[in-house]
Amino acid sequence: METIMIFSQRSLRPYWLEAKYEFLRLLRTPSYVLPTLLFPALFYVLFGVILGGSRSGGEMARYLLATYGVFGIMGSALFGFGLTIAIERERGYLTFKRALPVPPGALLLAKMVMAMLFAAIISIMLAVIASTLAGVRLAPTQWLLLFVINIVGTLPFCALGLWIGTRVGGQAAPAVVNAIYLPMAFLSGLWMPLSILPAIFGKLAAVWPSYHLGQIALKVVGRDLGGSVWLHLLVLVVVTVAFFVMARRRLIAVG
Amino acid sequence: MKFRIEWIAVAALVAVLTVAVVNQPPSAQPRPSAAQPAQSLPEGNTFAVRDVRIFDGERMIENANLLVRDGLVEAVGPAVAIPAGIEVIDGIGRTILPGLIDAHTHSWGEARRDALRFGVTVEVDLHGDSNRLAQIRRERESMRATDEADLWAAGFAVTTAGGHGTQYGFAFPTLAGDTDVDEFVSARVGEGVDLVKLIVEDLSVHSATTRWPTLSPGQVQAVIVAAKRHQRTTVVHVSREQDALMALRAGADGLAHVFLDREASDEVIQAAREHDAFVVPTLSVFVAGSGPGDGASLGTDVRLRDHLGSAQTQSLKAAFPSLSAHPEYPQRALDNVRRLHAAGVAILAGTDAGNPGTAHGASLHGELELLVRAGMSPLEALRAATSLPAQRLGLDGRGRIAPGLRADLVLVEGDPGTDITATRAIQGIWKNGHGVSRAPLSAEASAAGPAPVAPAQSLIADFESVALDGTPGSGWQVTSDRMMGGASSATFRRVEPGALDSAGALEITGEIAAGFAFPWAGVMYMPGSAPMQPVDFSSRSELVFHARGDGREYNVMLMSGATLQGMPAMHAFVAGADWAEVRLPLALFSGADLARLRGLGFTAGAPAGTFNLRIDRVELR
Repeated sequence: METIMIFSQRSLRPYWLEAKYEFLRLLRTPSYVLPTLLFPALFYVLFGVILGGSRSGGEMARYLLATYGVFGIMGSALFGFGLTIAIERERGYLTFKRALPVPPGALLLAKMVMAMLFAAIISIMLAVIASTLAGVRLAPTQWLLLFVINIVGTLPFCALGLWIGTRVGGQAAPAVVNAIYLPMAFLSGLWMPLSILPAIFGKLAAVWPSYHLGQIALKVVGRDLGGSVWLHLLVLVVVTVAFFVMARRRLIAVG
Repeated sequence: MKFRIEWIAVAALVAVLTVAVVNQPPSAQPRPSAAQPAQSLPEGNTFAVRDVRIFDGERMIENANLLVRDGLVEAVGPAVAIPAGIEVIDGIGRTILPGLIDAHTHSWGEARRDALRFGVTVEVDLHGDSNRLAQIRRERESMRATDEADLWAAGFAVTTAGGHGTQYGFAFPTLAGDTDVDEFVSARVGEGVDLVKLIVEDLSVHSATTRWPTLSPGQVQAVIVAAKRHQRTTVVHVSREQDALMALRAGADGLAHVFLDREASDEVIQAAREHDAFVVPTLSVFVAGSGPGDGASLGTDVRLRDHLGSAQTQSLKAAFPSLSAHPEYPQRALDNVRRLHAAGVAILAGTDAGNPGTAHGASLHGELELLVRAGMSPLEALRAATSLPAQRLGLDGRGRIAPGLRADLVLVEGDPGTDITATRAIQGIWKNGHGVSRAPLSAEASAAGPAPVAPAQSLIADFESVALDGTPGSGWQVTSDRMMGGASSATFRRVEPGALDSAGALEITGEIAAGFAFPWAGVMYMPGSAPMQPVDFSSRSELVFHARGDGREYNVMLMSGATLQGMPAMHAFVAGADWAEVRLPLALFSGADLARLRGLGFTAGAPAGTFNLRIDRVELR
């Protein structure tokens, strides 16, 4: 009995420590914290509240609440997870960690939890702005669903970010992640409805995982395009698994 | 082994993305709520609505069909078959509500017409002229097409000589200290009142100094007893919580306002519950200036704004003077409604429309939002404006959608059961089964009637002859931001040669001045026989013209709509160094009302500086 308890206590502590230090590390990186937390809120105030608010009677504010939530958590996952992995890999930090008596998954798990934590903060910030400044009214289950979607939705982007991190060096990583993040968000209809873009982009939007997560979020507020939620979920699950598998191979092989 | 797993992962990824792209629904914009003009309503009083969410007065029915025949609802439900040959309206993403009921109004003049324009099909007038009682009864029993809401009325309210209600300038019988109450009430019932309204108001809640005489508790009791004998519902106006308590204990069926002077006590709540009384809070007149749902917010709501007459807009901006002296009244009104509702007291939606801060019809939508702010769920608020007042006030056959009942209906975009403000996104209104048009009755629109149809030719102007009139119409005029305080300027003249080897073209030159937020200057062509008169161009689909200029970006502006206050719909084009044809589908001008086109403008905008534009062969095809 005693030995088992000690064993489980010991095996949780490294995970907790990794998560705590990862959190501290991120908090002390203003270049991560500020854009990740502030940009979605600022964009929402600008496009959803100021520019969109009175014109469409709140419809724009509601649409953008769903899509900017996805945009925000994408950033949290891609930068907090993918970018930091790339930089740490280049510095040999991952190899160093492997030499320590730390469970192999602890670092990655910690980073994923951090991405989710920041996603939760972003989601709450947007919800507060939407309900106070933009006057968005939703049923409690809708608020809850959006929150859950934002948090769980970090997973596919953690996977994508991880894979990117294993492929590019730390110097190129910020540029590569940005080059993927911004166009993907735009072409998924997260900044404005797809009908504004030429039809070809609308047709190809389904290749982006952010499109599918966006559609799920829009379904909650009743503004999606009517596709099946199971198909969106399937795409996100396959994206998550596939990129984790591909990244794992490179992590193990190259370190 | 690892190699294989990776390739499987890639293959799965490609496969699922291909499936997703193939199954991608068309990215047509999910139906916009305000920008799209409501589709035209079917002729006659037989039609159907398909795949629509229906609030039947009690609950929401998802994905149902509605069949209306000869002005009555014939069938409601998910399995209802729609016979061939009748007009069907698509209801996807929309909700049908029973015509809304405003349980406390003062309706004179254009009030009932204003109300119907906003989907309010019944108003209950709680102090007004008794001489029209027989006529309004006839009107609400008729199934004819009409442009007015039905009215139930209390006729003249029961009040003392010199009391509240007598200050409006019309004389009517009042109750003195020695009047025989039984005879008095019988006389009122004989005039044809549908319900009896009493007024208990000494003005202490609204004024620090003035006091008015009012009914004594004994008189209140006597009136209520007499009214019950004649089977008339009694509604009492109160402002003080103790008067509310007195009225409820005297057996009143309901209160016409929520009281403002203090928080609802347990006694008054218990009295309301014991007597199963209802309360019409009329939050619309008590919460001016307090945010969402109040008169000012309604006047700026884009879903309501275009249908408000100028008198209504003015009224919405006003407020009762006493509210500025008592900033705690709005919140207290909301809190009292919250307490009453939480205790199970029936709440009815009423606006006291006719008073400052209200507009008939529009204010009921604000009242619904205020009731939700005060703690009711959207469905409860909808019931408070449909089945509940119909039941409590004896409004036969109204407030519900069920087979055999009158087809007084409102079709809105979205789901008011989740977002109560969706009631404002009105796509269609039916009264007695006939579609109701929503053009506001401002002087310009009512004078014009339907706009004259444009002559068949597509050519607007080719500037071949020296005279610069377009065909036909008032011709070309300069338009600039000077009319709004800006400083930009423009002039135009005919120059030779024109596009495509034609004889002439129109040259527009001028200067955009900085300092104005959205500067513009250029020319406007007006097709009507008088400037800004509407002409019907709804059969056209494309604007085609030739342009040449200095490389700046210019705008085509369409001025249209039922009133002169509409924002122009605009689309940009660039005028390059050589003549080029510009083709703009009219669908690009979102918000333009082609059936009432008033002006076609070609203007320069920001940035500041001089500009030079030539246009030729302007056609609306």
